[in-house]
Amino acid sequence: MPLDAPVLFKRVPTAPWGSANERIYVDYDDYVAQDGYAALDKAVGMSPQDVVAEVKSAELRGRGGAGFPAGMKWSFLPPPDGGPRYLCINADESEPATFKDQILIQFDPHSVIEGIALCMLACELDTAYFYIRGEYHHHREAFERAIAEAYDRGVFGENSRMGKINDRAPNLYLHRGAGAYICGEETALIESLEGKRGWPRIKPPFPAVAGAFARPTIINNVETLANVPHVILHGADAWKARGKGRPDGAPPQVPASFGTKLIGISGPVRRPGVYEEELGVKLTDVIERLGGGPAPGERIKAYFHGGISMGVISQDEAEQGVELDFDIGKKWNNLGLGTACITVIPQRTSMVSMARNCARFYSHESCGQCTHCREGSNWIYKMLSRIEAGDGATRDLDMLLELATSMGSMPGHNICGLSDGTNWAIRTIVNKFFGEFEAAVTSKRTVSLV
Amino acid sequence: MAWITKNSGSTQIERRDEPYLSDEVKDAFNKRYAHRYPSRAALALPILHEIQHHHGWLPFQAIEEAAAFIEVEPSVLLDTATFYEEFFLEPRGKHTVWVCQSVSCEIMNEGKITEAVREKLGIEPGETTDDGRVTFMKVECIGACGGAPCALVNETLHENLSPDDVAGVLDALE
Ligand SMILES: Cc1cc2nc3c(=O)[nH]c(=O)nc-3n(C[C@H](O)[C@H](O)[C@H](O)COP(=O)(O)O)c2cc1C
Ligand code: SF4
Ligand code: FES
Repeated sequence: MPLDAPVLFKRVPTAPWGSANERIYVDYDDYVAQDGYAALDKAVGMSPQDVVAEVKSAELRGRGGAGFPAGMKWSFLPPPDGGPRYLCINADESEPATFKDQILIQFDPHSVIEGIALCMLACELDTAYFYIRGEYHHHREAFERAIAEAYDRGVFGENSRMGKINDRAPNLYLHRGAGAYICGEETALIESLEGKRGWPRIKPPFPAVAGAFARPTIINNVETLANVPHVILHGADAWKARGKGRPDGAPPQVPASFGTKLIGISGPVRRPGVYEEELGVKLTDVIERLGGGPAPGERIKAYFHGGISMGVISQDEAEQGVELDFDIGKKWNNLGLGTACITVIPQRTSMVSMARNCARFYSHESCGQCTHCREGSNWIYKMLSRIEAGDGATRDLDMLLELATSMGSMPGHNICGLSDGTNWAIRTIVNKFFGEFEAAVTSKRTVSLV
Repeated sequence: MAWITKNSGSTQIERRDEPYLSDEVKDAFNKRYAHRYPSRAALALPILHEIQHHHGWLPFQAIEEAAAFIEVEPSVLLDTATFYEEFFLEPRGKHTVWVCQSVSCEIMNEGKITEAVREKLGIEPGETTDDGRVTFMKVECIGACGGAPCALVNETLHENLSPDDVAGVLDALE
C-alpha cells in the first residue's frame, strides 16, 4: 500500500503530494507554522533519559548506510563528567548515486536542526558540528541561513530555550569538508574535523567513548536526525505504524524496518528524483510508481539499490519481489539497504563498465592506510580496464573475485568499510553478471592499448 | 588518489613580501571561527578554504603563514592540504569545470559531455587552458544524480546537460 502521507517530506513538495518544481526554502516561521519545533518544546519538559527511551523504543535505525539503531547508539554514551560532549552530523553524502540528504539540507533544514537539538538534549551534548561536503555550495548557504535563524529564535546560543547543556550554551556550527568520500566514514569525519587527513581510526575506542577531540561523540546521518522530531512529537507507536515490522513471532532482537525512507532514483527513468516511501516497499513498485518506469526505449537490466557500495540487484531478482528494507542484504545477497538511493542500469550499459567505474571510484577514494584497500582497488581497476578494452583473460576473473573477496573490515584485513564496499560492489557485479564478463574476456581485443 | 602527496620536497617555493594572510583577514577569521573549536589545529580546513577563496589556490607561503596562525607545523598543515581533492596546490584557471564521472552520470552519457568539454577547451581533464581561463576536472558523484549527467562550474550546478549545452555554459564564463 502506498504511503498515505509524507513524514520527512511534509514540507517538501514531492510526487504524489506535490511537484518538485514547487519546492522552496522553508524558513523558521514557515517551519513553526507546520508543527515545527513542537517536538523540541515537548522534549524540553522531559528528562534526557525519556527522550532516548522514546527513540530507542521507536527502533529508529540509522539512514546513513549501516542501519544501526539510533537510540541504542545514544545509550552507549558514558554519563556526563563535566567536560564537553559532541554531536557530529554526517552531511558528507558522497556515496555515488546518493542525493537524498541534500533535499532536506536545501529545502527543509529546520527539520534537521530540530533533530539535532533533540539529540543534543537527549544525549546531553553541548556542541554540534554539521559536517557538509565541500561541493554542496548552495546547500551550505541554505543551511547557514537556517542556523542563523535558529540562533536568532533561541534554539541555540546563550539564550537557548534548551537552557544550558552540560553547563554550556548549546551551539551548532557548520564545518565544510573538502572533497573526500572517506570523510563520510565516522572516524575519518572526526579526524577531518580536527584538522587532519581523513584517515579512519582503528576502533575501539568507539566515538561514543572517545570521539572528536577525544571526548564522547555521537555521529548521525542527516536523515536519521530529521526523523527524530516526528518520533518525539507523535511517539514511538505512531512511528512504528509505518514501515515493516519483524516477521510474526520473531523475537525482539531481530531488527525491524519501521518508518519511512527517502529513496533516490537516478538513471534512465521517466521521473528521476528523491521520493519518500515506507520501508518494505517493492523495488519494482518504486521504479514504476514513483520513477514512472524506464525512459522511452530503455529496458532495465539491474540496479544499484543503495549507493554502489551495497552491490547490485538484477532485474530478475527485482521481479521476484525484492523489498527495500534492512533485510535486503541477507535475502538478496548484497551488503544491505545502504542509502536506498537507486541507480537504474539499462540493458545498453555493460556491467564490465559499471564494475570498472566502481573500481576507479574506490581506488581514487581509498585513504591509503591499508594495503588490501589501497593496492587491491587499484589492481582491480587496472584489470577491469584491461578486460573492458578486450584484453582480458579467463584467469583474470578468478583473480578479480579473489581480490575483491579478500578486502574489507569484515574479513578483518582493513580498517574501515570503504573496502567492504569495494568487495561487495565488484563481487556482486561479477557474480550476478558472470556471462558478460566471460564474454568480455573471450572476445577479441577491440581497443589498442598502446 | 587521496593517499598520494602531490608535491614533493623538491617543490620550489615562491615567496613574496606581502603576506597572504593580512591582519584584517586574520582578525575577521578569528572572530568568525576561533570560538567554534576546542583546538586551533581544527581551524585547518576553514583556513585553507579561506585562502583558496581569496587566491584560487594554496601557495606554499600561504600554507606556512596559516600554519603559524593556527599554531601547527607547516608540514602538518601541508599534510592535511594534500589529502583533499578540493584544495589546489598549484595555480588553476580563473574558472573550474568539474564533470561528474560516477555511475548515474556515466549511464546518462557523461562520456559525451566530457568529450564536448575536451573539444571546446582543447585540453584534457586535469589541465588548464593556456590563457589561464578554465581548469577542467573530472569528479566523483556530486550528489545531483537525479539530474545526471551533471557538472559543477565554479559553484554552480548544471544538471541534465546535453553535449550541445556545453559550449553555451563555457562561453557564458567571463
Ligand atoms: C567509506 C564510508 C563512507 C560513508 N559515507 C557516509 C556519508 O557520506 N554519509 C553518512 O551519513 N554516512 C556515511 N557513512 C556511514 C557512517 O560511517 C556512519 O555509519 C553514519 O554516519 C552513522 O549515522 P546513522 O547511524 O545515523 O546512519 C560512510 C561509511 C563508510 C564506511
Ligand atoms: S579500508 Fe581503505 S579507506 Fe578504509 S582505512 Fe583502510 S585504506 Fe583507508
Ligand atoms: S553520479 Fe553524477 S551526480 Fe551522482
